[in-house]
Amino acid sequence: MARQFVKTHDRAILTVILVAAFAWSLSAVPWDSTVIHAGGKAAILQMLKAMVRPDLSPETLKLALVSSWRTLAYAVAGMSLAIAIALVFGVLAAGILVTGRGRLAVMGFFRGVLGFMRAIHELVWAWLFVAATGLSPLTAVFALAIPYGGTLGRILADMLNDVPPEPIRALRASGAGKLQLLFYGYLPMAMADMTSYIMYRLECAIRSATIMSFVGLGGLGYQIHLSLQDLHYNQVWTFIFFLTALVMLVDLWSNQLRRGLVP
Amino acid sequence: MRVHQQVADLAPHSTGSIVIKGCIWQRLNVVRVSILMMVLLVTASWIFLFTLEGASLSGYFSAKNLYHAKELLGNMLGLGAETPAFLDMTSWHKALALTYETMQMSVLAIGFAGIGMLITVLPAARTVADGSLTLTSTWYGWLVFGTVRFLYILSRAVPELVWAMIIVFMFKPGILPGAIALGLHNFGILGKLCAEVVEDLDWRPVRSLRSSGASWWQMLFYGVLPTVTPKFLTYLLYRWEVIIRTTIIVGFVGAGGLGQQFKLSMSWLHYTEITLLLICYFLLVVLADATSGLLRRFVQ
Repeated sequence: MARQFVKTHDRAILTVILVAAFAWSLSAVPWDSTVIHAGGKAAILQMLKAMVRPDLSPETLKLALVSSWRTLAYAVAGMSLAIAIALVFGVLAAGILVTGRGRLAVMGFFRGVLGFMRAIHELVWAWLFVAATGLSPLTAVFALAIPYGGTLGRILADMLNDVPPEPIRALRASGAGKLQLLFYGYLPMAMADMTSYIMYRLECAIRSATIMSFVGLGGLGYQIHLSLQDLHYNQVWTFIFFLTALVMLVDLWSNQLRRGLVP
Repeated sequence: MRVHQQVADLAPHSTGSIVIKGCIWQRLNVVRVSILMMVLLVTASWIFLFTLEGASLSGYFSAKNLYHAKELLGNMLGLGAETPAFLDMTSWHKALALTYETMQMSVLAIGFAGIGMLITVLPAARTVADGSLTLTSTWYGWLVFGTVRFLYILSRAVPELVWAMIIVFMFKPGILPGAIALGLHNFGILGKLCAEVVEDLDWRPVRSLRSSGASWWQMLFYGVLPTVTPKFLTYLLYRWEVIIRTTIIVGFVGAGGLGQQFKLSMSWLHYTEITLLLICYFLLVVLADATSGLLRRFVQ
């Protein structure tokens, strides 16, 4: 009876749950005049005014360009390392190299490792690394590569598990070994989906490289941080627009590539 | 090198007058040029890191750094501390209260993002703007489409933390500025994802509603919403999981919750407190994943 009720009204129940949760969260905010700073409204206005007049002086533009490259370079380096991690851990977590009794244990172990890697945010990893070893370019790259490797590895493992079994069986029947199965069966079939996912994650990596400014890494985030502290709102928007352009470029590239991959 | 050669080989075909050939060329071209660009970009980035940025493997994996890393780990595990925070009841109470606050912040954030998305998603769909869904296309429809799409890109290009940095200028520290920052960023992402859902919608039922005289709102409630709701809810839950992971980050700039305390403990060098907060954060992430998985079962 109750089960039937839940089944017929599943979406209505879910909506009620979600709305109730939102109401509960709204109640946590003290809704009075103390929510906004004394000068908060003026700051909002200034910020919006500066938006339509970003700082376009040659020095700022040059700085923005150099910072964009730095952010992109860190994102790409972190991503390339993440892909390497994902390939190794993802294949192991998919359990296609191991057969027999140990298979589930290996799968479980590596899925757990990947889960741990991605549960902690890249900036928290960065904090921990900086606290342990001090700031170095590699700190930022490793801090990026660990959670991204965790996410990519998990997705790769899922994709490898979803590869249709017929071609794999055909390969096995013609005598392919495990590695041959991997390189001629599993990986080529997961390739297209994986590529578009990697492009999407590259976009995220650019954002993550930006916020690495918090542990002192240079780049667009750092410049935004500095300009905000000096209250140079016009400059803030210049850097934000450069960041937007960078993300748009990657987005455009990924759309083109996806169109090229899917016939 | 091989890739380069193939691109060069393929290039002359592009001038061929046969359309099909042109398409194939284009397809291969995009993929090959992308591979080449990616290889170049990765190489350039690593070279940049190791030359101009002064990265060094031997400098990083040195005995000194190993010593410091061991020391940090020891401190975090509470070696030599009188009462590690993670064995202390009052610290647990404080941390769990912060966890509760963080949870509220995440729900508030996804609520803001979801409401913003629902208001803007229809005009942001290309099929609505060009009239293939609604049978009417207007110049202001295109204007709104362009504006909303730009807002989506802008709000999703800027990371949550940067939004938070800007927003704490205006709001008192607490969970509200954090929720707004998280909400702004996820508004852009949800908007993009959900607009694509509307674009991929089967347009026949909607069109037939329209041609039988349904108003805009009737079309929305009877034509569009029933079909897109499951996907919208899936995306909402998925983004909520991501938000939970990011709540700790916006706290770094004073937007409340676990993150704020994390940063304070970091500056006071209270290492065992950091461990405790990380445990709570980890529990929160696991709990959110489980909850979201449970709720997702409703829509499938």
